[in-house]
Amino acid sequence: MPHFYRYLFLLASLLTGINLLGHAQTAQERLITLSLQDAPFETFVKEVEAQSNFHFYYNPAAVDSFSVTIQVNQQPLQLVLNQVFKDSDYRYAFTPQGYVFITKGKDFHAQLPNNFFQRNTNTSDSPALAEGIVDKPYIAGEQSKKPTTSEAKLHVFGVKREGVTGNANLAGHLRDAKTGEPIIGATVYIQSPLLATNSDQYGYYSITLPVGEHELLIRGIGVKNSKRRIALYTSGKLDIEVEEDVRSLKEVLVEAEKDRNVAGMQMGLERLDIRAIKQVPTAFGETDVLRVVLTLPGVKSVGEGSTGMNVRGGSTDQNLILFNDATIYNPSHLFGFFSAFNPDIVKSVELHKSNIPARYGGRLSSVLEVTTKDGNKKKFAGSGGLGLLTSRLTLEGPIMKDKTSFLVAGRTTYSNWLLKQLPQETFRKSSASFYDLNAQINHELNSKNTLYVSGYFSKDNFRLGADSLYNFTNRNASVKWKHIFHNQLYGVLTGAYSHYGYGVQSDKNPVSASDMSFDMNQANLQADFNYFLNSKHTVDFGAISILYNVSPGSLTPIGSESLVIPDVLQREKAVESALYVSDQIDVSARLSVYIGLRYSFFNSIGPREVYTYAPNAPKTLSTLIDTVAYSSGQNIAFYHGPEYRFSARYGLTDNSSVKMSYNRMRQYIHMLSNTASMSPTDTWKLSDGNIRPQVGDQVALGYYRNFRSNTIELSVEGYYKKMQDFLDYRNGADIILNHHIETEVANAEGKAYGVEVMVKKLTGKVNGWVSYTYSRTLARLNNPAVSEVINNGEWYPSNYDKPHDFTLISNYRFSQRFSTSLNFTYSTGRPITLPIAKYQDGNAQRIFYSSRNQYRVPDYYRVDFAMNIEGNHKIKKLAHSSWTLAVYNLTGRRNPYSVYFRSEDGKINGYQLSIFGQPIPTITYNFKF
Amino acid sequence: MNIHFLYRKGSLYLLLALFLSSCEEPYSPEVLEASNNFLVVSGFINSNGPTTIKLSRTQNLSDNSAPAFVTDAEVKVEADNGAAFLLQETSDGTYTSGTLPINVNQQYRLTININGKRYASDYVAVKQTPAIDEVSWQLVDDKVLFQVTTHDAQNDTRYYRWEFEETWEYNAYFFSVIEFVDGELVTRPEENNIYLCWRNNNSSNINISNTIKLSQDVVSKFPLYSIPLNSEKFARKYSVLVKQYAQTKESYQYWESLKKNTESIGTLFDPLPTQLTGNIRNTTDPSEPVIGYIHVSSVSEKRIFLKQTELPYVYRAPSVSCTLDTVAVEEVPEYFSGGSNLPVGPIYTESGTLIGYSGAWRSCVDCRIFGTTTRPSYWQ
Repeated sequence: MPHFYRYLFLLASLLTGINLLGHAQTAQERLITLSLQDAPFETFVKEVEAQSNFHFYYNPAAVDSFSVTIQVNQQPLQLVLNQVFKDSDYRYAFTPQGYVFITKGKDFHAQLPNNFFQRNTNTSDSPALAEGIVDKPYIAGEQSKKPTTSEAKLHVFGVKREGVTGNANLAGHLRDAKTGEPIIGATVYIQSPLLATNSDQYGYYSITLPVGEHELLIRGIGVKNSKRRIALYTSGKLDIEVEEDVRSLKEVLVEAEKDRNVAGMQMGLERLDIRAIKQVPTAFGETDVLRVVLTLPGVKSVGEGSTGMNVRGGSTDQNLILFNDATIYNPSHLFGFFSAFNPDIVKSVELHKSNIPARYGGRLSSVLEVTTKDGNKKKFAGSGGLGLLTSRLTLEGPIMKDKTSFLVAGRTTYSNWLLKQLPQETFRKSSASFYDLNAQINHELNSKNTLYVSGYFSKDNFRLGADSLYNFTNRNASVKWKHIFHNQLYGVLTGAYSHYGYGVQSDKNPVSASDMSFDMNQANLQADFNYFLNSKHTVDFGAISILYNVSPGSLTPIGSESLVIPDVLQREKAVESALYVSDQIDVSARLSVYIGLRYSFFNSIGPREVYTYAPNAPKTLSTLIDTVAYSSGQNIAFYHGPEYRFSARYGLTDNSSVKMSYNRMRQYIHMLSNTASMSPTDTWKLSDGNIRPQVGDQVALGYYRNFRSNTIELSVEGYYKKMQDFLDYRNGADIILNHHIETEVANAEGKAYGVEVMVKKLTGKVNGWVSYTYSRTLARLNNPAVSEVINNGEWYPSNYDKPHDFTLISNYRFSQRFSTSLNFTYSTGRPITLPIAKYQDGNAQRIFYSSRNQYRVPDYYRVDFAMNIEGNHKIKKLAHSSWTLAVYNLTGRRNPYSVYFRSEDGKINGYQLSIFGQPIPTITYNFKF
Repeated sequence: MNIHFLYRKGSLYLLLALFLSSCEEPYSPEVLEASNNFLVVSGFINSNGPTTIKLSRTQNLSDNSAPAFVTDAEVKVEADNGAAFLLQETSDGTYTSGTLPINVNQQYRLTININGKRYASDYVAVKQTPAIDEVSWQLVDDKVLFQVTTHDAQNDTRYYRWEFEETWEYNAYFFSVIEFVDGELVTRPEENNIYLCWRNNNSSNINISNTIKLSQDVVSKFPLYSIPLNSEKFARKYSVLVKQYAQTKESYQYWESLKKNTESIGTLFDPLPTQLTGNIRNTTDPSEPVIGYIHVSSVSEKRIFLKQTELPYVYRAPSVSCTLDTVAVEEVPEYFSGGSNLPVGPIYTESGTLIGYSGAWRSCVDCRIFGTTTRPSYWQ
């Protein structure tokens, strides 16, 4: 808080009446040489302080919109300051000790002899400055009525001229006053006429307003509601620093833009702030981003122990998971019981499930964007947590104050050590461990250019019993360069790299000791542009190209005794590219339309040998007719197609609106998994001559209404979705190390439809949300020319078809330091294939299964409870800490994850497997310094 | 999972155990009452021994009656050159033949005619089963693990399936020297010995393995099954006969799917169960489900013996708690006539006066409760 003290000192000096004027002229010992272009005022101060003995005292909020352009060589400070403050209403004064005070002129007046500053400016030989004052006489009157807070200050852009009409643009960054973190998704708006914009993922906003004086209001998650007074005559830049809303730490759930539900363009968009995520109790006490996403309407999973999510009837591979713009292929740790994202560095999570912006593509069902913090630009800080199974630590701070920040975070588990302490043999022989690391650097080159570098590494190892050792790794890196061309246009150039790989080592029997591995690499290059054309049009356009390089599997012997034949599947390579353009058109205050088109291309390229099969017959080894060899870079298969993105919003009243959207998505990469849940040994397959891309179309219609001055939100969304060519498996498919995987999979068609109803209460002692979803997800395999027909070619429920789903997430805040959460989840049991008959075969009784997915496991319900106890809210103390006590599955219900029948000693026994069958209490200690 | 164990050890262990092994409970679903009686064909065509085919019908899961056998069917093995061999029904639903003149260069199928409904398997090639090199055992964590080793020098077999028949020799808990005949206790003759018995058990799990990923067709110490060291099976002498069947790729896949469907499901990452299709079809209505997969192969067998003295000593509790009752002479008819108690021996005073007899539960005296006193021909 050095600024805070500087400001206090300033006030104290003023009140004790230090005679600033008397010495103003004497403090000129050092000459200043400077060259700055649009630099923040603080940069100017630092430069001067570095070159001289001067110390500046000022209120940072008062200069947050003031930028300095100056070119001086060997000039005394007074001349420099005159030049800097030319055309502005800032004032300065010196003391003999070398203290320089910067204020807004009129407020200085209020505390000092009447003519104090008049004399100062008169003697400053600065006609420009004098002119400035004469030019804006009305400011004085306005200013003197209000105290000097930044909210009251009037920011003037350009020069007022009578009778001038038209629009001007205001743009800049929203930042947290304490940490310098950009504030994402806050609304910046004026009330009359109602014109609004949202800050984007960089905290950048751009709004076109009629010229004149406005009160600019800022509303956002976890920040104090703020306002800025502006007088806009020409386009200008205003960076706004807003304070964190400490009081709301445990209160807010989703206090986003309060009228976003109704007034926003987006459908099927869920944005969760980390604060909201932290309130939801989890099985192991650690905040889990993905678990919370799973509580949202339209998002389901096969079972508790699986991370894979099914969004609106899509399969688990149809979600694009972006972590700082790099694709994550396995977002889980420890069999899916932890998510791959360290909760301490996550800032926000956005899930797009119906109206997916044209900027995104490549997956059919959803885009989940996880954004991390930038790192504290103001001071060094840290946070962390100790849980029963994991610990984590995050350090962040400035490298160059307000310009460059870093953030490093790590998380690990000590489950391995604990396992060794267990008395049971199988547990002692088991091991399970993981860790992940994040590192980031953000550097603001100047006010127009910013560079973001981020890296992520995660590793999992586990061994079940003494058998095979599994490991998997995510490795990601991204570099982003954001360039602001002018107020209304900025572009981001992103380069990203993603790696995912796993290995299974089996060394129990020396003869068959082997190492099986899979890995894939993806490199992206992407350019995105945002053009805030005018108050009616916001245009996005850009291009992306992705190079995939997949090593689908290899088996290698371990040790000299091993007889395992090395077996390596051919590498697969492909380039996926897309161009997109979209325009958000605010036709009128009531009607807005989003029109987007993305055109994607996919080239599967050599070197590779590709099998060809007899046309119009199922692909099996007996219909294999030829093998074609392609040389390096040669085109094997080429797919392309348009992806339409359209949505419209019509405001019925101020509090209600209807929205509709139509989307088409194309997906060129497919996950191969033969298990009900996502498992670490799932592999990914690129489209090629034998595997077509998946195409999905979705229409959605929604009604949105806010009650009680936007504190309660109701949304009702219905959707219908069709999917073509998603991969389903033949009965008994073998997908591991298969050289002709196309003979094991089949292109299925799918359809999904449903209605999602959600009521959110955003504020108050009691807050949370209630949602109910009715949805169906069906699949069909009915083309004998392509594959075997499943269930006689009828539509059958897919594995994650759970028609009824009810979720309640609620919080009650007893005091500012004590709050509780209670969650309730109910859903229909998932479909399973059950045995319908038994028979005697040799010595054993065996079972005959029904058609696929004709029965369901019992319904699922679960209650969780958590208590958060905060330390006191003193702003200034060594460390802020909090305790979270939670009980997962409070009622101890044994929710069946699966039901199955096994032939044991010749008898058929039915079993149900539940993963969290008892109440699980956890305690976590979190700290922040 | 052992719930008691978890509760005892408190929540920390609870947590860990939960995420590692989760919780499995018996489950009896609402009765699935879809009526069904699909044809079940089990057995194989043996190229170097008698062929036995069993025909039965499926039952509802809740049906506890014995499976219904299909009698009076016409069952034939047909070669692709037209030769056909009729199988005889030797007992209800069991159709057998002697060793058939199988030619390894021809393909064979099974045809079934049940009251005019005709079924036929696909034609399948004859697989020659290589000899078993070794059946071995080793101690692993208080269990005896039995393993099989084999190879095919021609690298031709690749797919293997095994079955095994266990036999073990055991004692009753008490050695009875007298027997109760016509209301009187008389010395038990040697031929009425009920102390030493042999018992059999056939494998019920599916044991399969393949060597397609190995450079040589070698199966090394494939683990077939294991038995706890303190099992009654090892009380005196134990023997196992391992039977090896070479499989085609397709029949192997059938067994593998069947195994996945019925034995190895239920953990988190296991595959989904699937509807199985065999290679037998109704010739007029191919949509009728028929269960079974016919393959043609020879059989290789190997037997090993394992004496109790080869294993470390462990305490074996008897399967029932056995104590001796003392029966006064006058109580003899009352005590022994029901047949649930058997006499063990006479009791004398120190001076040699008979004062009564010792007796015990039948299951403690008569080993035939679980087995037979007939010594198997192969017993060493």
